[in-house]
Amino acid sequence: MSADTSLRILLAGVGGQGVLTGARVIGEAALAAGLPVRIGQLHGMSQRGGSVEATVVIGPGRTAFVGAGACDCLLALEPLEALRASARLKPGAQVWLNTATLVPATLGALGRPYPSLPQIEQALAARGARVHSLDASALAARAGAARAVSPVMLGVLVGAGRLPVSERQFEQAMRDFTPPRVLETTLRAWRLGIDASMQQSGKEAERA
Amino acid sequence: MNAQAPGRQDPLLAEAGRTLLYLGNEAVVRGALEAGVRFACGYPGTPSSEITDSFARLAQRTGVAFEYSVNEKIALEMAFAASLAGARSIVAMKHLGLTYAGDPLTTIPYIGVNAGMVIVSAADPSCRTSPNEQDQRYLGPFVHMPVIEPAGAQQALEMTRAAFQLSEQCRLPVLLRPTTRVCHTRAPVTVGELRPGAVAGFTRDPRRYIPMPANAVRMRAELEQRMAAAEAATRSPLFRDARGEGRVGVLAFGAAAAVCEDVLSELGARVRLLWLGVAHPLPQDWLLEQLRGLDELWVIEELSPSSRMPSPPCATATAWAPASAASAAASCPPCSSTSRRCCCGPWRRWLRARFPRRSPPGRRSRRARPCCAPSVRTGRRSLPRARRWAKRHCFFNDIGCYTLGCGQPLESGDALLSMGAGFTLAAGAARVTGQKTVGFMGDSTFFHSGMPALLNAIKEDVNMVAVILDNDVTAMTGFQESPLVEVSDGCITRRADIVEVVRALGARHVERVDPEDLSRAITVFREAWQRPGLSVIVSEHPCPVFAQRAGAHPGKRTVFAIDTERCKHCGRESCGQRCSQGIARGYERAMVRARAQESGAQGPVPPVAACASACPLFLCVQGYSAHIAAGRYADALELIMDGLPLPDAVCRVCHRPCEDVCVRAQTDAPVAINDLKRFVVEWADRQPEFPHRATREPDHGRSVAVVGAGPAGLAAAHELRVRGYRVRLLDAAAEPGGLLRYGIPAYRLPREALARDVRRVLELGIQFEGGRRLGRDFSIDELLEGHDAVVLAIGAGKPLRAKVPGKGPVQLDALSFLRDEGQRLQGPAVVVGGGNSAVDAARSALRRGASQVSIVCLEARDAMPAIAGEIHEAELEGVSLRTSSRLVRLTPEGVDVVGVRALKPGASSPSDYADVEGATCQLPAAHLLWAIGQIPDPEALDHAPGLRWQDARLQVDTQTGQTAMPRVFAAGDLAPGEQTVTGAIALGRRAAWGLDRSLRGDVADKRMPPPHPAKRKVTGRPGVLRADCARRAAPPERAAAERTGDFGETTGVLTEQQARLEAQRCTICGNCGNCNACIELFGCPAFVQEGAAVRIDPAVCTGCGVCAHFCPTGAIHAVSIEEGP
Repeated sequence: MSADTSLRILLAGVGGQGVLTGARVIGEAALAAGLPVRIGQLHGMSQRGGSVEATVVIGPGRTAFVGAGACDCLLALEPLEALRASARLKPGAQVWLNTATLVPATLGALGRPYPSLPQIEQALAARGARVHSLDASALAARAGAARAVSPVMLGVLVGAGRLPVSERQFEQAMRDFTPPRVLETTLRAWRLGIDASMQQSGKEAERA
Repeated sequence: MNAQAPGRQDPLLAEAGRTLLYLGNEAVVRGALEAGVRFACGYPGTPSSEITDSFARLAQRTGVAFEYSVNEKIALEMAFAASLAGARSIVAMKHLGLTYAGDPLTTIPYIGVNAGMVIVSAADPSCRTSPNEQDQRYLGPFVHMPVIEPAGAQQALEMTRAAFQLSEQCRLPVLLRPTTRVCHTRAPVTVGELRPGAVAGFTRDPRRYIPMPANAVRMRAELEQRMAAAEAATRSPLFRDARGEGRVGVLAFGAAAAVCEDVLSELGARVRLLWLGVAHPLPQDWLLEQLRGLDELWVIEELSPSSRMPSPPCATATAWAPASAASAAASCPPCSSTSRRCCCGPWRRWLRARFPRRSPPGRRSRRARPCCAPSVRTGRRSLPRARRWAKRHCFFNDIGCYTLGCGQPLESGDALLSMGAGFTLAAGAARVTGQKTVGFMGDSTFFHSGMPALLNAIKEDVNMVAVILDNDVTAMTGFQESPLVEVSDGCITRRADIVEVVRALGARHVERVDPEDLSRAITVFREAWQRPGLSVIVSEHPCPVFAQRAGAHPGKRTVFAIDTERCKHCGRESCGQRCSQGIARGYERAMVRARAQESGAQGPVPPVAACASACPLFLCVQGYSAHIAAGRYADALELIMDGLPLPDAVCRVCHRPCEDVCVRAQTDAPVAINDLKRFVVEWADRQPEFPHRATREPDHGRSVAVVGAGPAGLAAAHELRVRGYRVRLLDAAAEPGGLLRYGIPAYRLPREALARDVRRVLELGIQFEGGRRLGRDFSIDELLEGHDAVVLAIGAGKPLRAKVPGKGPVQLDALSFLRDEGQRLQGPAVVVGGGNSAVDAARSALRRGASQVSIVCLEARDAMPAIAGEIHEAELEGVSLRTSSRLVRLTPEGVDVVGVRALKPGASSPSDYADVEGATCQLPAAHLLWAIGQIPDPEALDHAPGLRWQDARLQVDTQTGQTAMPRVFAAGDLAPGEQTVTGAIALGRRAAWGLDRSLRGDVADKRMPPPHPAKRKVTGRPGVLRADCARRAAPPERAAAERTGDFGETTGVLTEQQARLEAQRCTICGNCGNCNACIELFGCPAFVQEGAAVRIDPAVCTGCGVCAHFCPTGAIHAVSIEEGP
């Protein structure tokens, strides 16, 4: 039994944002690259509007389980969902945070405030995570479909070079697992994500 | 998930040897196909649904006979029958379903199977989608059948394939028990050969197939032999395995074992893992053998400690080896999934040294999915009514998508038990309490087990309303067909309808309604409620989510859209400015919304109220009025100070264009808007801590110099500081305030009030330098060297005078007179001009010793630019007015004045007036005060030749305030625009935004300045008058005779009671700027905020209609859209 080398990715979002498909595409790309991979998805009651999360574990092992303090990469499609997942972050984990919020019905109805973005970013940073915030929803809208938040975030992940999968392999997986009707916009959104990620890392490098 | 493109090969039919990512559920299906299964059936239920769904999809292509059975009992019997008839069969359901099928289940092993029969019963540890987490491994010893547990997708395939063989070897059904984690984990699976199965046919053998007592006793004895055969058939590594080396052992089953293996591997622990894929019968000999090499054994289990059950097959505690193992195992908590709990108790203590500590995840607000409006069948606009109902009556809900109606906002459930129990619970409660009850049930549940329940209620004629919600499909689990409806390729074919079924059962009062036909639905419900005995209501409407996903109407799709006329989003798109106050902030927001909606019922509402459109600062007057009416002054203050950095000054000196356009004036008198503002500001000043603090962007290092600390300069400095700039504020005068300090007398604006405003601005971290004159002490170029940009707001310092022949009184400029507070006058004074400075100068002259004061101006009385109230006060104090007049000559005694008439409406320059012959008179004057306006002093800017001038003002970009020098911006009287205090503040904010935009780009647009006056449209239409409509409140005024003796403030503040009544006079004639309920109450990803407007993205909308349900203004409605190929 050897030390752990797996890459544990957690995708957290809201039903309808494309969390499950996103996880599937990462998984298929990894499989195509010949890597051991597992995808876990939590759904059921969490249809549209409910919390949805999916995990992708690339590396040897049997489960797709990402427990407390085990997550290497968090793709948060919604800020509150990022907060919900914060306990799972490994110190030094990378978080890509879509800053566009979707306020849960229960929160509004109970009159409780939605935590502010800086609060959420701080909470994530307090876990030792490196937070990269961006408005993926705006990029998705720019690509032509607000629904394409997930492809944007996938692009960000690919652009950040965090996956052991080449861009070409990933693109093939996108092509294989996206319905042809939305393929063009999905790929456009994905590329915008890659660009945003490149720009962001450029800026961060500059600042450093 | 069927994400593959159509036309591609179905991944479940991939050729042997390929490796694909399968869900655990898909692997089960593939395993069955590789075993040559001939019959598949089941009832959908999370987490098992993908099994039946996959079979439904593949049935035709594989030749496997498939059905969604009416319920699990029937499914189990069907699969058994298939097995008896010699076809390998599989039946799938969730854990609850198998206990529902308990009757046949307990007898099937007695009879035994022919062809292999596999029962898949998916477990749900942690109750993710179930009301309980029953441990079905107990069923193994209970009914005598093997129970096997796959740990992952590959094993799910192999175990399913092997299970058919196992079943045939021991002639028992085999229970395959994947858990949610296995069902819904996608992992690489290498597939084997697909095998067509055969059907052997049924052979008569009553001794074998009829468990009458005599036969049953014999069968019971045979069961033991069969279980022994099962034990022998599960000796392969597929069902048990030992991995790793160590003196410490861990024993775990199925999915729990997989988690253990990963955890131990992560830790690099030297542990021997005993992996069991079979929960019953336990391989006793193998276990004993394994235990020999161990000092300690940990048993890790999900749910309950089934492996330690004392009888019949399990070893005794001593045989389990070291005592520590038994005690350790006993202390594992008997609940929930391994992933969460495996690190509990002694196990955790044992691992703690190697496991880093984690704090438990914090509690977060749940993000529950609200119920579809149509699925609740109450119609969209009936929410309030439904809620009132829900409060008064007992609702018994059932299992299905409508269960979500138990949550907010409908709260339409008081109890929930099991499939079909909606009617039985309602009936039982009605029978003992004598009160009428309501039971809900969906179509699929009705056929599953609701029919007997309804029959039971019909038999007793129970006093209840039974509501059957028929949306064609089994929506909760993924739109499967139901007994009366066939679903194929997304098309629905109905065989019969529920009303006929219910009538056939014997119900006398049966009504059919479409919930979209709200008025009829309400009538039917009311009648049912009032009628004694049982009434059945069948509420029919197709599931809109399904209709949309399946494309029920090819090429067309129903989505929801927002009617912009009715939507009460902020109507301020032109500027993108929104107040930051959320809907949850208080009921007064709801009041604004409700009243805006009320007035909307009378016709289209202007997006922005007239007052706000007229306000240079675009303040949301109706918003803060509503706050004041509700007594929430802090919120009112926030709305005011969001756009107005100098509230203490403006609430006293504003020229109140808002009141000029107030639609309330059409009824009686305009709302006393400025007095309301003053009330709030004074309230805030009295609080121990000022309730508003500007939220500031973090410093980004850029710095700006603002020249001039008048209203425009202060506003620009404030705005830039808020935007994260380092700001240096310079002024020629010693103290900041500019015109506010030196041009407005203290009886109107007490110095303390101004000081409060200035202090609040400077407290943000603005560096003020007084006594520094531009052009004398420093130049623009010097400033540009040390700063990123410069804002010029030096005002108009050069007074104008008209040329009048003759010699006479001492001539003074009103502004310098006002500035020099020590200057006294003697004898009569004449003030020339019709603006506020003229009135101020006249009233100050009275206070500074003038025996009598006259104002001479060209304008007629009602055209004077000065504030009407101020003119009135001046007259009260004794100032005499000579309006429509001009000076013609100065004489030693005073001035000669001639009457004039305007040559055109809206006359503004002296040439627009003509003298009226003979209308001359003389006014005595020792002093002549000029107050006909002032222009910027070009001398101060002589040193900057880069600046351009136009019409005596600096030439600037009217949008951004940028001058001809790119890094220099101008605001206030220096720039063209409205020359009022409020107008200057607006220009200051605009220049700050323009500057920010030029330095930081689009980021600046997060905070927009008030919209450009050219883009405004002031539309007044009557709003809603309140029944208790009060008269306009007037603040207290000091008596005229008393106040001319000093410079004490003349006008007081409204009392709290007055203010609240006055605030209620607002008719809320504009759209409320801040509904946002759809965004804030319902987090649907289809909602897109564009500027201030909200839109539904049709590509994302599923047509579920929940939003229409939430929308407080009824602005969301269904539309049909064309869909491309």
